[in-house]
Amino acid sequence: MNRWLAVVVIVLLVLASAVGLRNVVNANGQTPVVMANGGGPIPPTPWSNGGGPIPPTPWSNGGGPIPPTPWSR
Amino acid sequence: MLGPTDYLLWFLTAFLEAGAVVCALRAKCFGRYFVLGVYMAAAFLLTAGRYIVFLHFGFSSDQYLYFYYYSDALLTICLYFALMGLYFQVFGEMGAKTSLRVAAMLLLAGTALVSYFIIDSSRDRMITRFVVELSQNLYFVGVVLTYLLWGAMLKLRETRTRLIQLVLALGVYFSAFAGCYALRNLHPEWQIWRYVSHLMAIWLPVAWSYTFLKIPEEARLATARLAATRSR
Repeated sequence: MNRWLAVVVIVLLVLASAVGLRNVVNANGQTPVVMANGGGPIPPTPWSNGGGPIPPTPWSNGGGPIPPTPWSR
Repeated sequence: MLGPTDYLLWFLTAFLEAGAVVCALRAKCFGRYFVLGVYMAAAFLLTAGRYIVFLHFGFSSDQYLYFYYYSDALLTICLYFALMGLYFQVFGEMGAKTSLRVAAMLLLAGTALVSYFIIDSSRDRMITRFVVELSQNLYFVGVVLTYLLWGAMLKLRETRTRLIQLVLALGVYFSAFAGCYALRNLHPEWQIWRYVSHLMAIWLPVAWSYTFLKIPEEARLATARLAATRSR
């Protein structure tokens, strides 16, 4: 029992440290996205396109009705 | 648009990732470090996949955007299991395998849960946000886990040079990631960020290939042995 409690405590400590570290590093709250797995240039995230307008995505086609996305059926 | 440096770094990354798998096979240690090999093989395949998607749809396309972020999340999960593989190498002989397995799955589930709570308020592009958030949180979990592992290795007076090199390479990688994350936050306008992720992606295959090729499995770190002898 003690062993499993220790496992849970360590997991929570690691998780809290990781999230805390991310918050400390992310001081001014802009939450940049840094990727470092594999090659290829990083595309901009769909929700952080500077000050410009967000380009239309497949599920926001102008003024028409929004079609259901494959993962929300 | 992409310049020649982007293409050069892209091809170099793919070449080095494939090279790391070949080095592990050549050093006959692919089975021993199976998860690390699987991560490198997956990184190579997904790097090639990104290039194919890029060729077909272009850099600004949604296809490339989604393929990039989803593949990165997949690779981060693979890297997390690679790190857990190193934990098994260090703690395996202490009979802690079951505890480690449970802890690894609990931590992954906990990170997913935290990522979900962070993006819970946004209804738009929720799955993509979740994938990116999970990826970013797993990077930071990796930072903490690598430092913990390194601390444990120092405490246990680990002497296996190859294992030490593999963990230290991962430590440099995650530390560089955390540093870049912080600096990018402070100076998002710097153009260097365009190449930093490439350079970080190049570091791991280079360091691991060197370790597999140049450091034999039976090599032991003399300084640690000396320190252990002195403390008796």
